[in-house]
Amino acid sequence: MKPESDRVSLTPSEALAHLQLLHLADSALPIGSLAHSFGLETLVSAELLHVGDLPDFLHGYLQEAGTLEAVACREAFRLARVEGKEFDAARWVEINDCLSALKPARESRTASATLGRNFLHAVLGVENSHVLRKAREASLESEGLIHQSAAFGLVSGALGFEETRAVLAYLHQMSACILSACQRMMPLGQTEATRILWNLKPAIVAAAAGSASLTLETVSCTMPLFDWGAMEHPALATRLFVS
Amino acid sequence: MAATAREAFRETAPNISEHSRARALLRLNFSRDSVSGNTLLADSFQEAPLKVVRAFTLEDGTALTHLHNVSGGLLGGDRLAMQVLIANGAKVQLTTTGATRIYRNRQGFSATTQRNEISVGEDGLLEYVPDATIPFAGARYLQRTSIELAAGAGMFWWEIVAPGREARGELFEYEEFAVRTRVSALGRKIAAENLCLRPRKDKVSSLARLGQYRYAATFYICRVGLETAAWRGAEDQLRELTTSMTRRREILWGVSSLVAHGLVVRCLARNGREILPGLQAIWRSAKRHLYDREAIPPRKVN
Repeated sequence: MKPESDRVSLTPSEALAHLQLLHLADSALPIGSLAHSFGLETLVSAELLHVGDLPDFLHGYLQEAGTLEAVACREAFRLARVEGKEFDAARWVEINDCLSALKPARESRTASATLGRNFLHAVLGVENSHVLRKAREASLESEGLIHQSAAFGLVSGALGFEETRAVLAYLHQMSACILSACQRMMPLGQTEATRILWNLKPAIVAAAAGSASLTLETVSCTMPLFDWGAMEHPALATRLFVS
Repeated sequence: MAATAREAFRETAPNISEHSRARALLRLNFSRDSVSGNTLLADSFQEAPLKVVRAFTLEDGTALTHLHNVSGGLLGGDRLAMQVLIANGAKVQLTTTGATRIYRNRQGFSATTQRNEISVGEDGLLEYVPDATIPFAGARYLQRTSIELAAGAGMFWWEIVAPGREARGELFEYEEFAVRTRVSALGRKIAAENLCLRPRKDKVSSLARLGQYRYAATFYICRVGLETAAWRGAEDQLRELTTSMTRRREILWGVSSLVAHGLVVRCLARNGREILPGLQAIWRSAKRHLYDREAIPPRKVN
């Protein structure tokens, strides 16, 4: 097959998958993403993070949190793509339990789980997928959480998207959402935000590539200051964001 | 867990390279004496350089044990393992006799490895309250800890990591410091940490990592069986204390509920002086809240 860049058009199924992925990875998808800063609001409020710090901060954020979420996205993706076998519901619950344990801040953990649940619910509203229904049932039964990155990976696998594209799309919307939160907290205009997100794309690609050979057991995520911000968000006197 | 100490060692520290230095296991089994109610060090297996001299009985029956490394610190290539089994109802306090020094790795030696396996039985209690860990310039350190808590089991577990030998101006000159911790309660993960700092590779001062701070500490506070609402109450109570100890440019304290059965406290600081007193203040407050008992800071040999 020719490289995609040399082909005049996509096949109908490729084109459909492309549009579906664009739709699901849109940061404006109504699942509540814009209500969360994941602790960034605390760092801004404490005057620890300023506009000028954003490119460096987001680069580190993608290296750490981005890689972790990308790994979870991939693990869930691969779970959905095991053909000819019954869906491994126990592993699905385990992936989400592991993410819950890796997220020390209550509000951020709850935020990730709220978005994951809403995302899965939204997709089940438009796609009748056996795997997705099984996953939701397993999570309900185990009283476990459904995290956004895992839900995105599972949906992407179930809908037949390509794995790396799905991971890239997830990381891109994750970056866009956090940047959107910054725009509402800091003197950051549209032009500058666009420039920052544009320049972040190599870091997104690097985080996606770095995640390919890792697992939730081997991936590291070292963000003590960001964790502090997320943990202390409930203590802010006035808040724009839920987390 | 393995039936014998040797088997346990093979399981916990496999693939030991030719260039390894010490290979040592410290295994401590604690049980509760049914007559006195005191906790006893019922059995131990010790290989140099890991050593405990004896267990001291504190006034509330807890067994206090000092962990010694008679080589003075962890050397490049050391493969060390510690297993602690705390039987039902037993209460144990483990501490160090001073900071844990991780020396530089000499060329050709594998990373220094410390593997910890901890099991706390029903209604048992572990208080792990060591001094700071100091990775020297050139150090490579990998730590793996797994903790299993049974029904009603409790734990106070803190760890402090320094940036290096600060007094001689050595900051973040180590090669790698990686800590992987897993805490499970009733067989389900409640806390996990995959921390890895490689100052020569990744920018430690990124606001996504440590920012302007140099020291980091983590404190897990667990008691299996308490309901989520009780942990929210404990979180709110401890937050009053941590907020009072926070000075934005110098030291940050944060507290949050785990997914179940516990809390986690994080601290970042410009210097290490206030961390230990702060952890002890949190320990006292949390122990009163969870156990209605006073925390007893360990007597130190040095």
